[in-house]
Formats: sequence, C-alpha cells, structure tokens
Amino acid sequence: MEMKRRIGFIERGTEFLKLKRDHLAKELTASIDILKGRRSKLLEELRIAYRAVTAAYISLGPTEVQSQTKSIKSRLELEILPRSVMGVRYPYIKVEKEPKVTGELDITLSEAAEKVMSVLDDILQLAENEARAERIADELGKTNRKVNALENMIIPRYRGIIKFIEDKLDEEALEELVRMKLIGGALAKRRV
Amino acid sequence: MIRSHALIADLLTAEQMHELADSGSVEAFTTRISETLYGTVTIDSDGDPSIAFEKEFYVKFIERMTKIVEVTPKKISTFLQAYYFLRFEVLNLKRILRGKFSGLPASQIEGYLIPMKPYQVSDYKLLVEAESFKNAVELLRGTPYESVEESLEFCERYDALWPMEQALNKFYAKAVQETIQTLPRKDRALVRNILKFEVNVENLLNAIKHRRMRAGEEAIPLEELFPVTFNVKLDQIKSLIEAEDLKEAIQELGQPYDEILSPIYQGDVALIRAQARRHIYAIVRKARSLNDFGFNVIMAYLVFSELEKDDLVGIAWGLTQGVTAEDMTKYLSAT
Repeated sequence: MEMKRRIGFIERGTEFLKLKRDHLAKELTASIDILKGRRSKLLEELRIAYRAVTAAYISLGPTEVQSQTKSIKSRLELEILPRSVMGVRYPYIKVEKEPKVTGELDITLSEAAEKVMSVLDDILQLAENEARAERIADELGKTNRKVNALENMIIPRYRGIIKFIEDKLDEEALEELVRMKLIGGALAKRRV
Repeated sequence: MIRSHALIADLLTAEQMHELADSGSVEAFTTRISETLYGTVTIDSDGDPSIAFEKEFYVKFIERMTKIVEVTPKKISTFLQAYYFLRFEVLNLKRILRGKFSGLPASQIEGYLIPMKPYQVSDYKLLVEAESFKNAVELLRGTPYESVEESLEFCERYDALWPMEQALNKFYAKAVQETIQTLPRKDRALVRNILKFEVNVENLLNAIKHRRMRAGEEAIPLEELFPVTFNVKLDQIKSLIEAEDLKEAIQELGQPYDEILSPIYQGDVALIRAQARRHIYAIVRKARSLNDFGFNVIMAYLVFSELEKDDLVGIAWGLTQGVTAEDMTKYLSAT
C-alpha cells in the first residue's frame, strides 16, 4: 500500500515535471526566436559604432578623448534584477540612468557616443535574452533528465517491486487457499 | 629661413607615414620611428603606450618649435610663441577645468596635460589642485585669462562647461589676432587665413552638433554658443542649424566648406576634421609657393610639423588598438 501511494506521488510529480519541461521548451523556443539573427545584426551595428570611436580617437588623440569622456557627469547606471520562469532565475537589466553626452563632447565624440548609445539597448536585451536562453536550456536539460530517469528507471523499478510483491501475495494467497482446501478435504474425510 | 627650408625636407613624407601606419604592431612602429629623425622613442612599460607616444610627439614638436623660435627675428618669434604656446596652454586649461568641473582626481587631470612649461599662468599644479571648479577659475585672476571668469555664471546656469570652453576659444582667437599685428604686414595673411578657417570649421561643426541636440533643449542665444565668427557669419550658422535640408544648407556655404563638410552625409564627422587639416596643409603649401623666402617657410615648417605630430599620435593609438592601416590612413592629413 505504501509503495502504491509512493508511486502515485512519483507519477504525479513526473506529470508536473513534464508540464515544466514543455513550458521551458516553449520559453526556450521563444527566446531563440528573439535571438535569431540578432547577434549578427548587433555585431554589424557595433562595428559601425567602433569605427566611429576609432575615428574620434585618431582625429582628437587619446588624451583629449579621455579628458572629454571622463568629464561626463551623468553616467550610465544599470541595475541587475532577478527574474524567474518556472523557477529558473535569470538576470533582468534595468537602465536606471542614461548618460547625457551630446552637450559637452566634441562632435566626433558625440557622434560616436550616439552610435554606441543606439546599440546599448540592443546589447542589454541580447545579453539578457542570451542569459535567459542559456539558463532555461540548462534547466530544460536537467528536467528532461529527471523525467527520463523517473519514466524509464524509477517508475518501472517501483512497478517491478509492486508487481513482485503482488505476485508474492497472490502466490501466498493461492498457497493458503490450496492449504485450506486440503485441510478442509482431510477434515471431511475424517468426519465420514 | 634657409634652415626652415632644410627642416621641411626632414619631415616625414606621405609614403613614410603610410609605412608607419602599416607597421602592424607598436614594436614595429617604435623601430620604424627610430629610423627617422625622431630617433628612439622611449615608452614606459606601465600605462597606455598610445598616451606615452602622444606626450613624446608633443615634446618633439615643442622642441622643434623652440629651435625655430631661437633663430627667428624677435617679431616672428614672439608671434610663434604666442600662437603655439597659447594654443597648447588653452588646451591644458580646458583639460584642467574639465577635470575640476567633473571632480576628477588631481593626478588624473595632470596625466591629461600637454607636457610643457606654463606659458601665461604661473603653475598648472595650483590649478589642478584647486578645491573646486570655481576656485580654479578664480585662480586665473591676474593672468591674461581672467576674462573667462565671466562665463562662470553661464556654466552655473546651464550646469555645463561649454560656456567656459567657448570663453577660452574666444580668448585664444582674440589673442592671436592681436599678436598677428606684431608680424610684418606682408606676413599676416597666412596666419589670418589659417585662424579664420579653423574658427569657421569649428563653428560649423558646433552648429551641426547643436542642430542635432536642439530638440528638447533650452534655447541658448547663438552669440553665447558662437562667440567668435569670421567670414562664416552668425546668420549662416543660424541657417545651418535651422535648415530642414542639411545638404542644401551646406551647399549654400560654398567652397571650401561644402566640400570639407561633405563627409557628414555619410555620417563620418571625423573625416571632416581630416579634410580640414588637409585644407590647412593646402593653404600653407600655396602660401609657401607664393613666397618661398620668408615667414611663410617658417610657418609652413611648423604647420606641417604639427600635422605630422597629429598623424603620428593617431597612428600610435591605432596600432595599440589593432586598427587596420586602411582605417587609419583615411583620417591622416598626409595623403
């Protein structure tokens, strides 16, 4: 009875894990759809931004660039917060404050800064989605392994044990029945 | 003057400059530069090598200029010192005040300074170590720069540094114009042309920048944004800022500005500066060809030397960052 109660519990757990697995697979597919082609597009945009930064350095010289950029008062401020899908935690990046750069910088630098700023949101989103996809994929793998272990190892083993116990009990019950019948027969003969 | 002729021949050629850009590594660049008149450039292993190179090239340029100053007549040497030392000192003051404005540590501000002796202020260290931005500006009292203190009010009003930088630009332009008067009349045109061109280009670049950021910003009087103007007048600058079609507004400026500003259509602002430097090179070369026996030769040597310094600084930085020779040479004045 205890075994049957336990296997019922395991089977319900397995069903839950299957639901989790399906949901994670759906989430992973959604994340991959977002990521598709995004990295290459972002790399191209970054290349353009990097070219603008390079041009500003060559044009103004490294000291002037550093002197100007270090003097920006309002800097980029980010907060990394945890988020969760089916118990899988992933980082969520919140932009607290965007730097205000255009006013004080030389035009070559403000141009470069604008190009970097225009890809910043995409970089953050890509980083967030990549971390999300990675963690979901990791959890999906773990859940899948658990479901497989339960379906192919634990549950069959439990079923085997239950069957063995049931067979044993049936056998014992049959033996008992035969024994009772033999005793009954012997008692009837003695009465006659 | 004969010496200047000889010295111009010693400057790096465009081919040499391209070879340096093609060095492939900082080590190869150091070796190649040591084979030129620059000789061995010693770079500390600590810190950013490109910054060390930049300082070294500034030192070499100042050495060249000092040598010229020593052998030129008094009127010319006074002008040259005022023109170059004042420019570098104004740049140093901008870097100091920028650092003070944003609260950078004194050691970091010092690291950004051009390695030169103070020209019209007594000590950079005093300014660098001033308690505050306001205090640093107040320390300029009693120096020729004291007029820039008037812009403090605007800095506070807009919580920005640009009014101070513009005040320094205005001071520099005014001071150079005054010093030009010390030159013999026939020698004034070249310097005046360079100064006008530089101010015009900077004003136009500022106008383009202002055009982009004007949305949502407080309207600032144009006289404050552009305190010095020459033949590109304030109303032309205003038209550029307010024009719906930037290309049309640029074309209306005419030669040489429409051509120099044309890289803006492809979004390559840095190329505008490279074109402006090439134009200055052309102005000086033309002036030298018109008068090959006088002040123009000296000025040509110094202008070419300074352009060479800027190119070498760019190449040194590019090599430390692994930038390709093609991407570097695009922005060099040596073509």
